[in-house]
Amino acid sequence: MSPEVLPPSRRAVLWAGACGLFGAAVGGCGFMPAKTPDASALAPVKARVDGDLVYFNWADYVDPSVFKGFEKEYGVHVIQSNFDSMEGMVAKLNAGNRYDIVFPTAKWAQRLVRGGRLRRIDHSQLPHAHAIFGSYDYFADPWYDPGSAHTVPFTAYKTGIGWRRDRIGELTGSWKDLWSDKVRGKVFLLDDRDEVLGMGALALGLDVSTGDRQDLDRITSLLGTLRPRLRGFSSDSYNNLLNGNALMTQAWSGDMAAMLNQAKDPSVFGFEAPREGTPINCDCYAIPWNAPHPGTAMLFIDYMLRPENVKKNIEYIGYPMPVAGTEKTYADLVKPFPECLVTEDDLKADLFFRNGSRAAEDARDTAWTHVKAG
Amino acid sequence: MTRLRPSSSPRRRGADGSRLWTWFMLPGTLWMTGFLIVSLALVATLAVGTTDDLGNPRFGFDLSAARALADPAYTEVLARSLGYALLTCVICLLIAYPVAYTIALYGGRYKHALIAAIVVPFFANYLVRMYGWSVVLSDDGPVLRALRAVGLADAHTKVLNSAVGVVAGLVYGFVVFMIIPVYAALERLDVSLIEAGRDLYGGPVRTFFFVTLPATRQGAAAGLVLVFLPAMGDFVSAQLMGGPDQIMIGNLIQDKFFQGQNWPLGSALTMLLMLVLLIGMFGYLRRTRKDEAEARR
Repeated sequence: MSPEVLPPSRRAVLWAGACGLFGAAVGGCGFMPAKTPDASALAPVKARVDGDLVYFNWADYVDPSVFKGFEKEYGVHVIQSNFDSMEGMVAKLNAGNRYDIVFPTAKWAQRLVRGGRLRRIDHSQLPHAHAIFGSYDYFADPWYDPGSAHTVPFTAYKTGIGWRRDRIGELTGSWKDLWSDKVRGKVFLLDDRDEVLGMGALALGLDVSTGDRQDLDRITSLLGTLRPRLRGFSSDSYNNLLNGNALMTQAWSGDMAAMLNQAKDPSVFGFEAPREGTPINCDCYAIPWNAPHPGTAMLFIDYMLRPENVKKNIEYIGYPMPVAGTEKTYADLVKPFPECLVTEDDLKADLFFRNGSRAAEDARDTAWTHVKAG
Repeated sequence: MTRLRPSSSPRRRGADGSRLWTWFMLPGTLWMTGFLIVSLALVATLAVGTTDDLGNPRFGFDLSAARALADPAYTEVLARSLGYALLTCVICLLIAYPVAYTIALYGGRYKHALIAAIVVPFFANYLVRMYGWSVVLSDDGPVLRALRAVGLADAHTKVLNSAVGVVAGLVYGFVVFMIIPVYAALERLDVSLIEAGRDLYGGPVRTFFFVTLPATRQGAAAGLVLVFLPAMGDFVSAQLMGGPDQIMIGNLIQDKFFQGQNWPLGSALTMLLMLVLLIGMFGYLRRTRKDEAEARR
């Protein structure tokens, strides 16, 4: 062995370090105040093939046969990638990654629209969009995107209570059911700040998105009475009900509908939408400002809105879509849990989680820490 | 041991060797500065940063995150994490020592196969294994059903969502980090030392505590650090095996980055956690330096 190995020169190490610093500084630019693209850069485009589709969504959220059909009809490839949270999706967009189509929830759509991150969508370029905007008045001018100028709704869903009908029978139809002595120690809440605080707010008759400190104190103390009865915070409602850890759990309607496909005997489960109100949400189609192929994205949105494709997707993912003519497909799918349906009235009740001011968000964050950590 | 030192004649042989060596250093240096030092600097900077109206973290100077740390909820959760991590260390040591001892001293030609048998299951992702446990140990899962059938559990017995579940998860997840260093230390141990202890009329117990244990102390210390660090920051076990009263600091940090969109507070919590871990590391380093000094005497 050669004993005489020279240490690297100090300059070489410093140089390498500087390269690393430079690389990271470039990454760190994501945290500098962002400049908003000007309006002309966000002008709508025509629906025409201008390249392959770079698709970015939750995993398993579209029937694979729909992708195949789209690829075949337009002679393009769909390049798929997935995110596992809204925060992750937005972080990637902000870091400059380029996608043709993304799927933000209402609250995040509003943030992206406000930040000038979405290209406008010309509805006249989407022949099948009439099935949405012609029948669901709500989406003509939703709060998160005035005039639906940058988004098209994809799915809608609500939050309610899932329970084991075979073990505890029927419920009373109120959020207060979570406090029932029959399920003490076997109740889960979703591991989600907005859903948990929103449930407390609805039980007290307050605004679901409240950022008012007094409201939040009332919610925190109400949830403090539920906490000792809780088994945990978990968003895995389906498995918790199935393996008996939960007799009752706060649950998203889509997850309960997906359960119907998988459970041997769905009649042992139930899903209720409590009468105090149920938080509602929707996922939207949106085209980022820097999309490389916005024309193909427009074609894709329209293709997804064709009734036969909507039906395939509804059956595949278990989430209803606000497209006229497909309501029956969903109603048939969720026959055992009719309260999974999202109606125009549900939308009008408008119990969406909204973006708050910085102070309100901080107050909600603090309240959530206290609910969760006790 | 050959010491690496600058050659006295760098001109002739040194020029090539040094350049080659520098190139070897390059990826590591880039990697460490880019992904460790700079990321840490970013976290430290964001800890005093702000959040814009869209919820995006922004550089700035605002101490509200640091002030928020004064909330007793964080201290309580941090103390709980510390307790769980220490308990995990102790249990891991109690499990790992006999296992490593048996393999190292009595494993014979199966030694390597036995170590491989312990390590291979850990190739599977930690999250997946923990998820598996959460299914196996669920209320209607095979374990509790079997226990109920033989009358060892009643309808209210539960394993999941309890402190026992969380610590068991941590022990299961990290015990291999204790077995390997202790095994390595025992492997290096000169067996004649044990025989000498016996010759000097030490019983098996006395020999163990006065000869074997001190001789392998460094392996155990390394194992304690390797288990403590990941256990302290873990969030998977508490997430899958814990209930509302078992939240650990890792869960809160994760929440700040995701649900709360409060990166400054998440970063501040991360720095606080690192501070606690650094104190632990200093303790370890001082201890090993003392050991080395003693060994040199």
